Amino acid sequence: MGHFNDYEADQSRLYNLGHVEDINSSESKAKVKGIWKITGILTIITIVEVLGGLMLSETADASGMRWMLNTGFIILTVLKAYFIVSNFMHLGDEKKGMRLLVYVPLTLFIWFIIAFLADGSWWLWINENMGYSHPA
Amino acid sequence: MSTAAVANKRNKWMGGESPFDISYGKMMMWFFLMSDAFTFGAFLISYGTIRFSSPLWPDPNAVFRAFPGGFENAPLMFVSLMTFILILSSVTMVLAVHAGHCRDKKGVVKWMIWTILGGIAFLSCQAWEWIHLNHEGGWWGSFRDGADMSHLANFFAATVSPQDLATYGADAAHKFFNFFFTITGFHGFHVFSGVVFNIMILVFTMNGVFEKKGHYEWVEKCGLYWHFVDLVWVFVFTCFYLL
Repeated sequence: MGHFNDYEADQSRLYNLGHVEDINSSESKAKVKGIWKITGILTIITIVEVLGGLMLSETADASGMRWMLNTGFIILTVLKAYFIVSNFMHLGDEKKGMRLLVYVPLTLFIWFIIAFLADGSWWLWINENMGYSHPA
Repeated sequence: MSTAAVANKRNKWMGGESPFDISYGKMMMWFFLMSDAFTFGAFLISYGTIRFSSPLWPDPNAVFRAFPGGFENAPLMFVSLMTFILILSSVTMVLAVHAGHCRDKKGVVKWMIWTILGGIAFLSCQAWEWIHLNHEGGWWGSFRDGADMSHLANFFAATVSPQDLATYGADAAHKFFNFFFTITGFHGFHVFSGVVFNIMILVFTMNGVFEKKGHYEWVEKCGLYWHFVDLVWVFVFTCFYLL
């Protein structure tokens, strides 16, 4: 029973919460340096995205290459998301089982996005080809 | 089977320890964030569905081209500033979490104050953007029958023909603004509640609550929520302002 009470009252014994780092240690300083490095990467990716949106938008629309620009945007977005989740949210430091518990359900989005965008395209097609907007 | 054999087969799933080496609260925060990710995902994907079904759609470079101070031709600049503010407040949050790991109370206080200021700055920017778009006629339910259409052409690329604009413009702008205000509003509400949580954490830290508890895990849990808000913004930014 004593053990059970400990379990409820002080989780720090179970999950190693009592572990303390020294803010002035070289390990701690390296971590802070790593955080600023990720900040730099996120900033650079955002700048690239904005420049792409500003300078390449019209060219992409005019040449029918919009999908290439958009693919680039999506890759950069997923890359940013990965850096935030893995480094800022420290998911990369969790146990493999915990990582999978988060990542695997999110793969549902792959189906979700494909199905719903296809549905949208179908509605556009049906309205343009079989719509009643131009009565004879 | 002897007891020794059973003891050898003990694994992390047999109780008494955490298989994922993670506390209950932190795991529940991850589950909450996953469900929230699906809510935001559903919003953004329905935006995509409607957009794919529309013959015409507003051009982000035309909709978001204003900057405070009377600048009317600075496409994407203001929203880039907002994005940068949110990224920086995410960074100060990680630094607060790190200070918490080191039980550095002063550091946690310092970085939490910066994080809260970043959140307030972001919300202020969003308020400005909403008010600006509202002055141009955009709101929930705008650009329907009989509405003022004088600003409508402002939201579309210059290459859109007047005929297309007249046929499809109002409907597209109507849908666009419904989604824009709903999704950025839902996100803004997350930012607002995040700021409230962060202020609570700051007060607890200053009162020495975590010193007494022996760990700063609450900073970490609120940090997860705060980073998630930043993460959602990354996707909102792409869907509304870039694609």
